[in-house]
Amino acid sequence: MSPEERLEELRQLFLHAPETESTRLIAVGLSLGLITAVLLLVRRRTLRAEYTPVWVLVALFTFALSAFPPLLTFVTRSLGAWTGSSAIFFLGHLFLVAICLNYAVRLSGLTLQVKNLTQEVTVLRAQVEGAQPRAVGAGAPSVGEP
Amino acid sequence: MKAVLIPAFNEEPRLPAVLEALRREAPDFVPIVIDDGSRDHTAEMALKGGATLLRHPFNLGYGAALQTGYKFALRSGVDLLVQMDADGQHRPEDLLRLAEGLETGKLDLVIGSRFLGEGDYRMGGLRSVGRSFFRWLLGLFGLHVSDPTSGLQAMNRSVLELYAEDMFPSDYPDVDVLLCAHRRGLRVGECAVTMDPSPRASTLHAGLAPVYYVYKMILSLWAASRTRR
Repeated sequence: MSPEERLEELRQLFLHAPETESTRLIAVGLSLGLITAVLLLVRRRTLRAEYTPVWVLVALFTFALSAFPPLLTFVTRSLGAWTGSSAIFFLGHLFLVAICLNYAVRLSGLTLQVKNLTQEVTVLRAQVEGAQPRAVGAGAPSVGEP
Repeated sequence: MKAVLIPAFNEEPRLPAVLEALRREAPDFVPIVIDDGSRDHTAEMALKGGATLLRHPFNLGYGAALQTGYKFALRSGVDLLVQMDADGQHRPEDLLRLAEGLETGKLDLVIGSRFLGEGDYRMGGLRSVGRSFFRWLLGLFGLHVSDPTSGLQAMNRSVLELYAEDMFPSDYPDVDVLLCAHRRGLRVGECAVTMDPSPRASTLHAGLAPVYYVYKMILSLWAASRTRR
């Protein structure tokens, strides 16, 4: 048997090695816990509903992978990974990078909005309080203080 | 109406002298001070000096303070605006020369250059390398200026309208906004001025800030180069 064939045989062994029941139960519990946490946060108005779909999808995906082992094997094969845990680790890493980038984009937008809003308040306040540009010495100074 | 825009952050000790010099040298200019969330008595000093005062409720950054001034100037009917620092580095008498350059009608934006006149402004080794690098980069886009990082600038309403847009950075508006103006077809020129060394160390030159500055400028220049004419 060539080294390549031995590696492939070893890989198949890894792929078909059944996950332990406790691992599956923990994964199912975590995914159900995530959904519950999301629902509770929404009910307490701590998390806005528009931010929930991604977390619900993650929870459902984790639940499906842990509840149906053939699905995990399929995903692992598709990714070219050796074990289900390494496939999940890889997908989790990709998800975290994507979600961080998404939040960075949202944060950039919010930063711009806060800056524009603050400038608008500053200028409007100045106008409401009668701040008019006038040459030095042409009367009382003016102020626009938020 | 002509105005001079002075962004200020904790400039209580230096601002009165700047406003006094303005009153003496450029009485036709309306001083507008943007207090960018100072923790000292900058605002009181601005009022005492007879300036029109706008106050940010918290610190937004040098670029954002400038932009607040641009927006206010646009709404107040200012036709010619000169921006200068509050630390006394820029000389009020140079305002008039910059304004003259603008009033010829041949330019939209005039930069006060430290390197065109007889001044003996000395720039440190690394800063000098950085300036040359950015000069060279701007030259690639057809914009030839000797002092692209100068904060002393005079502008008309066309430039104010551009600078009031969202592309204007909140931290360091420098060569990137000059390139934007150039790409939009605005006419950029220079005028020799004299500048004194800043009385206090700039945070821009401390720690890793220069590395971030160069990185950010290159990225901003790339973004600005995509600006449509």
